[in-house]
Amino acid sequence: MGAPALAVPADGDLIARYLAGEEHAATELVRRHATALARFIAAQGAPEEELDDLTQETFFKAFRALATYRGGAAFRTWLLAIGGNVLKDRRRQWQRTRVVALTPELRDPSGDPGQQVEAGWVAERLSEGIGKLARLQREVFLMRAQQGLDYAEIAQGLGITEGAARVHYHHAVKRLKAWVA
Amino acid sequence: MGRMTDELPPDLRAALQALDAQATARAARVDPDAVAARVLERLRREGRPRLWRVLAMPPVVLRIAAAVVVLAAGVAVVSVMRERPQQSAMRLPMAIPAVDSLDAGQLEAVLEAAGEVRPVVDTAVPLVSSASLDDLSEQQLQMLLASLKGGEG
Repeated sequence: MGAPALAVPADGDLIARYLAGEEHAATELVRRHATALARFIAAQGAPEEELDDLTQETFFKAFRALATYRGGAAFRTWLLAIGGNVLKDRRRQWQRTRVVALTPELRDPSGDPGQQVEAGWVAERLSEGIGKLARLQREVFLMRAQQGLDYAEIAQGLGITEGAARVHYHHAVKRLKAWVA
Repeated sequence: MGRMTDELPPDLRAALQALDAQATARAARVDPDAVAARVLERLRREGRPRLWRVLAMPPVVLRIAAAVVVLAAGVAVVSVMRERPQQSAMRLPMAIPAVDSLDAGQLEAVLEAAGEVRPVVDTAVPLVSSASLDDLSEQQLQMLLASLKGGEG
């Protein structure tokens, strides 16, 4: 007989505990969602050296706005939407101050070099295409295709209708399909 | 990767998998504990959520704040109710008594000055521009006769 499994607190419980002043609950929320958030931001072409800072900024804004979080959307979806906003603001700053390569090369030293080059080229091509999409198309596409969220969750997180989410996704797929072909 | 990639065309699915592999590798370099520590440090320095601050206030402070809000609302309601009678008094046509006190000549002078001269008739006589005397009632004929007599006198 194994030890009784410890109940994993839901995001809502952790949020309530943090709002009651329990800082450890915030740490747990960050542990739970930081990697998915960073992956979402990275797929939108954020430079690697900025990824840590963008993740931090997103959590900071989210925790400061927790009083406005009504629980309609899942915490992660809400967080991803904030992450999209943070990236958008940061892009404006980058455009004003300097030119940043948004898709730095990243090669795995192990594996077949030929396949890596091919995969790298395809990924880079898609990254360019994603960068050319309208913001909602980009976010809806990644939330669904990369994060695996359904339309209802995406719609709640982004404050749009489910129908609009479907339309944005459809347009994104159509444009990206043509882009990577 | 999400289960939704199955619905993507094969080329796009392969490209997304390659891109996600890069994104995942980059995301793995983000240390969640370090991020959490920095976020909490900033929150301590720059302020916690507004609701938390309100909830953290002592009950006495919250009661005083509620009393101030109720008092302010009461003052606002009373001042609005006091203003209303004055506003309706302002709307009364104050010029009417002054006009009534003018005689016919003064009134004509005023109207002329205003570019709107009209004949002054002491008695209300119906205007019958296109009708003949036969169309007037007995009462109207008597009023017309009385006004003509008055004009001769």
